[in-house]
This record gives sequence, structure tokens and C-alpha cells, in this order.
Amino acid sequence: MKHIATSVLALAVASAAVADGHGNSLPQADNEWFTSAQAEIQAQLAKRDNTNRALNIILMISDGNGVGTNYASRLFAGQQEGGFGDEYVQPHEAFPNLALVKTYNANAQTPDSAGTGTAMMSGIKTKAGIVGVNQNVNRGDCSTIKGNTVETFNEIMSEMGKATGIVSTARITHATPASAYAKSVDRNFEASVPEGCDAQKDIATQLIDAMEAGVIDVAMGGGRRNFHGSDIIGEEGGKGRRAEGENLIARATDELGAHYAWNLESFNAAPMDGSKPVLGLFHGSHMQYEADRGDEPSLADMTAAAIKMLEAKGGDNGFFLQVEAGRVDHANHGGNLARVVRDQKAMADAVAIADELTDDADTLIIVTADHEHALAFNGYCGRGSDILGLCYKIDGNGIAHSDELEIASDGKPYTVAGYLNGPGSVLIEQVGGEYFGSRPNVSQEEATDIDYLQQAAIPKSSETHSGEDVAVYAKGPFAHLFDGTIEQNVVFHVMHHAATAE
Amino acid sequence: MNRRSFLLTSAAALALPRVVLANGETHRLRDFYAPGGGLSDLARALEGKPVTVAGFMAPPLKADSQFFVLTKQPMAVCPFCETEADWPDNIMAVYTQRKFRVIAFNRKIETSGTLSLGAYRDPDTGFLSMVRIEDARFRRA
Repeated sequence: MKHIATSVLALAVASAAVADGHGNSLPQADNEWFTSAQAEIQAQLAKRDNTNRALNIILMISDGNGVGTNYASRLFAGQQEGGFGDEYVQPHEAFPNLALVKTYNANAQTPDSAGTGTAMMSGIKTKAGIVGVNQNVNRGDCSTIKGNTVETFNEIMSEMGKATGIVSTARITHATPASAYAKSVDRNFEASVPEGCDAQKDIATQLIDAMEAGVIDVAMGGGRRNFHGSDIIGEEGGKGRRAEGENLIARATDELGAHYAWNLESFNAAPMDGSKPVLGLFHGSHMQYEADRGDEPSLADMTAAAIKMLEAKGGDNGFFLQVEAGRVDHANHGGNLARVVRDQKAMADAVAIADELTDDADTLIIVTADHEHALAFNGYCGRGSDILGLCYKIDGNGIAHSDELEIASDGKPYTVAGYLNGPGSVLIEQVGGEYFGSRPNVSQEEATDIDYLQQAAIPKSSETHSGEDVAVYAKGPFAHLFDGTIEQNVVFHVMHHAATAE
Repeated sequence: MNRRSFLLTSAAALALPRVVLANGETHRLRDFYAPGGGLSDLARALEGKPVTVAGFMAPPLKADSQFFVLTKQPMAVCPFCETEADWPDNIMAVYTQRKFRVIAFNRKIETSGTLSLGAYRDPDTGFLSMVRIEDARFRRA
């Protein structure tokens, strides 16, 4: 790992430097924590701003992966490798530049993926629930769209001659990828618009229109059912959501000459030389969670393929790619941390491969989230407490946690992680409509089961987002423009500056 | 065989058909599906036999029916209340012995009945199922 090499090198310089007020070396000078931190100082001092123009930009959005969710995922990944988890470094956590991002929408303290997606892709904050339009639009009201559409980063980069693409594990017509190409008064207009709405087309049509116009060269994700009519059965047996007779997939293959992929075989057969547009629709709705993935490419697979295709297509002009880990968010909504962390691990793998396939000198990689969730953590847990499991006590005589469980006032143990609200609520609807309940006495085996929902307080059918800050990690040209606490729409402005710098 | 033991044995034999619970083992929904889709060996081995499966009751399609969808995790919205699409590996259709009172979607239950495999379209709702527990009863876990 690059980080360790730097620290070993820096050690020689570091250990002599730190002294007490009298010039004597500190008693802690040889402590591992101390020497690592000294190496970190040297690494920071060695950092230089990269002011090259960015040839390629990759924006990687882990939907719903705020600071807390990211923390749980870090511990999970580290524990999977046999460590305590806390010390583990996810690929994006080794990036040199970081800022905290304020995610609120123009009309929402608690944002959604559409308003936040538009902020990152178009440089303005807007209302929740709408894509590619400014805050003058009223959600769901087609009559308010005229004069209020905004250009997306994919459009701008395409105009500069770059190849562009989108990859997501959610439906490719879902809010985050839609913010790359669509202008819609409602994020839900995925396969159709309401009767009487003539001012805009549905999101799936807008994707194929964008591919026809050469704005999008590669689009891969889920959501096949939004591309064909109810009379046409999709490859895996699903009914389409469009009007009878409509088939946007046929339009893409027949009129645009696109390669269409719907499973691993057709994914592996896709041309990598940029000779054709590529449309991948790997599931009727959202793709499967990483924990359950079958005949579908992984997020890392799709990211690597997209990068190669776009590099070939873009040539000397480079490319822009938006990658979304779309289902960290869904698992959080379901209150199921075991799937949250596995989907985030899949995102981390995609980040690693994007980094590997590109050059820091000319490629700006940004890893962020659109918003956080209502996930929170309990204490006081000893080192190595399974992040998905129960909170074990700290061992005063050791490092690893003791074998004794932390117990709550109700005499029962509790998990490290919990949700403030959601379907895991311990308040259950009783006959007669009232809600009450008590915490189940959960075992470690139950808590670490893949289907377990961590206990939550407020009952809700779907756990909610939260308005907390998320982090943005970046490396490459002008990554240093990310610093301090910023508004989320600044993400667009960093990308734009990097792509157009003299 | 003396008369008393004969009577006791026959009484026991008469009582047996009313016991729906199998060998006492409570299965998980995922035990019935193979990774990557399709039925597991266990599912095929248990076809037509009594089974007990742990899960949750999805909000019913209609009131007063003798049918519900058993889910592996609490799901507040009936997952899959469309009449067609791929059969997901996280649900089972349950046909109950008698009408039942709806249980909250996030209260764990154990459902016992006879395992039935293969495509079946419910005449009432049009719901197409691939795996069912028939003649079922359930209790809170």
C-alpha cells in the first residue's frame, strides 16, 4: 500500500524531530500510534496541488452513504479481513482531499436523491423530488417546467467532445443517474408522464434520446421494465411498464446500433472499443443487492467496463463517468445493515478499480454520497465488536473486547448499530391499532444474520434519510478545491473548473 | 398384543393427522432457494411434506382472505403485489386453513403447513406463486 511505504520512508526523518520543551525525546516517541501520526504529517507536508486540466472525471456517488453509514462499512470491511475494523482504510479514505458537504435541498431540510443529484450534476440546489430543473418548478406540475430546465454535467462534457457514461445498481431511470441526462418535474416519471403532460417526456425516453444525441455513450444499470411495454415480456420474465407496443430497447439496438446487455453473458460480449453505444439493463427493477447477486455484473465490473469503453470512445478528449452505488440507500431504508455494508464494499471495490485504471495526473476521481440515513451507534463497545452484532464490553486489561455484553436498563443486550426509525421498530402495531412493544432479547447469532433488521425506535414502513453532512473524497486535478464545509452544488463547480482549467 | 396397548396405539394413530408441525425444525425462507435463483435440494425433498417456516406477514392484498405472503424480512408494502414478474427468493405464498386476523408486518411468525411447489395462479387475486405453504396455521414466534 502506498501509504505504508511513505510512512516507512518518513520514519527516518520523523523520529528525531519531536522533542519536549527541554529538547529531550518524548517517552511516547517509539509508540506505534505516535510514529504513524508522524508519518502522516510528513505525507501531508509532501502534498502538492495538481493544477493540470482534468482529461477524465469520475464522480462516484454511494447513495445514502453518509459519514455514519460509511463508518459501519469501514468496520465491516476491516472485520471481514480479520482485523478489528476501526483501523481499516477504505480506498476513498486514502484520497488526499476531503470536505464535508451540506446536502439540504432548496425546500427540504432532509434531502432526497433527486434534489441532491441535480445539485451535483447541474451546480444548483433545487427542490426535493425533481431532476434537471431549478427550484421554480413545482413537483409533479408539468406546466411549470418551461424555462426552468438546467444543463447536466454529462451534456456539458459531451459538448466538449468527451465520451460520457452512467452506471448504477439502481434502475438507470432512478433519481441519481437521471440527474445525468433528464429534466423532469417528478423523479417518478420513469416510464410515463401523466395524461395531459406535453411539456416533457418520461425519463427512460430521455435516456434513449440522450444516447441518440451522443450525450450518453454508455448506460448500465437496472430498470429494464421502464423500457418496454406491458405486452412485451423482458428477458427474465418481467412485464414492462410502458404502454403496449413501446420498446425503447429495440429503438436503441435497431436505430442507434447499440449493444444491449441484460445478463453476464451479454455484458461480457459488449464491445470495449467505443464503436457502439452500450445499453445495459440487468434487472427488471433495481439490480440485486451485492449479498444476493446472481447473474448480474458487479458494480466494479460495470465501472471497469465503462471506463475502458469511454476511454476508447473519448480518445484524446477523455471522458466523464457517473457511477452510483444505488442500493446502500435501499438497504438502509429496509433497516438491514448487513446489506448496507456489503453494497458499500462493492462500491469500495469499484473505487479501487477506477483508481487502478486511471492516472492521478489527468483523472479527477470524486467519491461522495448524496445524503445520509437515520443510522446511529451505541457504546461502550470494546475493539472488535462485530459492527453488525452485539456491543461487547471494553476490556480494561486487554485490547480486544471482553466476553461480557453491554446490558441496557431493560436487562437485555443491544447491537452496536441501530436506526432511529424504520421497519425494525420495536413498537409493533397491535390489534386495535395502537403501537407498543419491548425490545426483543437478541442473540449474537440473530443479530449477525444477513436478514436481521437492527432495532429502531420510531415505527415507519421505510426508514428515512437524514439531513446530516456527508463527506466528499477526491484525488487528481483540482481535488484540492474540495476543502472545509461546502454546499453540495459546489461538487459540480469543482468538476467544471477541473475540466476547463487553462 | 394385549388389548390396552392396542387401544393406546390406535388412539395415538388417530391423533396423528391433526399434528401439522413437522419434526419440530423451523426453517428459514432462504433454505428453500438455491443461490443464484431456483429451488434448493431441501425444497424438493420437502415437497408435499409438513414444514414450519419463520418469517413475517406482508400486508394482505385483500381483507378477509385465507392467503398472505410470507416474507423473510419485515416488508411494510406487499412486495410483489403485481400479478407477474420474476418470482423473488425472499417470499412464499401461504394458504391458511381458516380466515385469520392480520398480524403486524414486523412481528415475527412461524407458519406451518404442507409445502407445495410449482406455478399456481390464485383465482381470486390473480397472484402467481411458485412456492406455497398450504393448509397452513401460524403463530407468533
